[in-house]
Amino acid sequence: MKDEKKLIYMKRILTSLFCVLYSVSAAVIFAANPGFGDRKYSLTGMVEYSYNTTWGHHANFDIQSLMPINAHFEMEAKLQFSTVNVYTGVVQLRPKFELPVGELFVETDVLYKAIARNRMSDIDAALAVGYRMDYVSITLGVFCRVLDDWDRSWHSEDNYVVEPFNLLYRIEAFCRPQNNNWNLSFLFSNVDDYQMERMWQPLFGIGAWYDINEHCRLNFSAQCKPTGMFHLDATFYGATGRVGFTYRF
Amino acid sequence: MNIMKKQLFYIVLAVVFAACANEDSSLDMKGMFSPQGETVNTRFEQSMAYNMTKVPIRIDMHQDTYTVYACSDSHITRKAHKNLDYFVNLYDAAEGPKLALHLGDVIDAQKNFPCADSILHLATRSLADTMFVTLGNHDIYFCQWPVFAQFFKTSVYWFETTNGTKKLDLFICLDSAEGSLGTKQMKWLRALLEEKSQEGYRRIIAFTHTHLWKLDASQGHTSNMAMEETYEVLSLLGEYGVEYVWSGHQHARQSVVFKGVNYLVLDATQDSEKGQSYFVAEMGEQVSYKYIDYPALP
Repeated sequence: MKDEKKLIYMKRILTSLFCVLYSVSAAVIFAANPGFGDRKYSLTGMVEYSYNTTWGHHANFDIQSLMPINAHFEMEAKLQFSTVNVYTGVVQLRPKFELPVGELFVETDVLYKAIARNRMSDIDAALAVGYRMDYVSITLGVFCRVLDDWDRSWHSEDNYVVEPFNLLYRIEAFCRPQNNNWNLSFLFSNVDDYQMERMWQPLFGIGAWYDINEHCRLNFSAQCKPTGMFHLDATFYGATGRVGFTYRF
Repeated sequence: MNIMKKQLFYIVLAVVFAACANEDSSLDMKGMFSPQGETVNTRFEQSMAYNMTKVPIRIDMHQDTYTVYACSDSHITRKAHKNLDYFVNLYDAAEGPKLALHLGDVIDAQKNFPCADSILHLATRSLADTMFVTLGNHDIYFCQWPVFAQFFKTSVYWFETTNGTKKLDLFICLDSAEGSLGTKQMKWLRALLEEKSQEGYRRIIAFTHTHLWKLDASQGHTSNMAMEETYEVLSLLGEYGVEYVWSGHQHARQSVVFKGVNYLVLDATQDSEKGQSYFVAEMGEQVSYKYIDYPALP
């Protein structure tokens, strides 16, 4: 029992430490690099149709903003409102470094999901390293999940639950170079813009974009989520289709 | 270089096909990527059809306290089933009011249900006695659901314990063998909890194979439910005052309290596993439980 308590305290300390480190590093980067740098600020609106066997048919509305801070840092903020009474907010800070071939980037994400329909919240913090080339982008990292009950009794055994280490992976292959005015991509990952699944719960996706002009881009994507892959019996769980419009300032 | 690549490709392909075709393989490679047999909705319908032909199971304990013996993940083969033998003999020899649960993955690989039958003495039990089994992923690998159903009849059911006319505890068995309860079982579970939570049970206990949490790396490569379903199930069980959820699958014990529900995961009973144990719970006004290691068996 003592060991269990020690483990719980250790998890709490690690989680707190991670949050503090994240906040401090974000603040330092902002202080050192004010403004949006050379790259273009962009705003995206998206509409999603989604189905899964738990929530049934529903729609999601997304807003995303990309804020390049300078040549080496960019930040993304994302919001999603779902008709099933689930709300998600994501902040990503992405330091990146140009290499002779491709680009190396580090991705730090904080995802907060308010599952109002179930009166609980899911907070995920991720740290990943990625490498992007013309036709392929690979990201590999870890994330920590904290699930909390909104009606938690503070004087009982009830507690928030920490899942300290989950693997994060994202492999995306593109048909055209990524600076092309249109593209088609195929995705294999356990995370997307608004969810972080456990490592054995992959998502399969297909995406496309078309640049109408210098400022406007159309985005399309579709995603399939099976359940029970890898050491359960696999079956279909859900699918999502997404249409969006991006304006680059 | 190209020849080497080709050779490597063919070797990998051969290994995958060999794993699919080998009847002693414990992994259903095809089943990992697409449904091979009946999916959870079909299994639920077949289970309900069977349940409709039977009266609800009420086990009169003749007193308020009794003992639950539980084990999980025995993964027996025709050659390896020492721990399950030990568990069943221990349970049969135990005195006093009792019942036993097996939390899934009774067998490993294929063609091992007859062996499970000979150990569990299913002919004299099959839901009329006090040993209850839930369906695990290994039990349905290689399209084995019809075989499981032949021996165990149903994968979704409930039963209650009583002391004469006084209701004690309600036990609900859920089918989570493919990482989802499915639409029909979720609807049934909600309706059942809505009805039964009003009937004055001392406590409600759900037991199933797949665990809901991924707290550490001890579970290795075992997967869970999708997050949306995890949120929904956690909320549903908390909302209707389920006191315990007992599960297996990860082969390592675990204890979590969330929304007032105690989630306990059992160690494995599989002979070749490290840290094998079974679980004994004394069910009274309070529940006290312990994990007991299997002795080193010859």
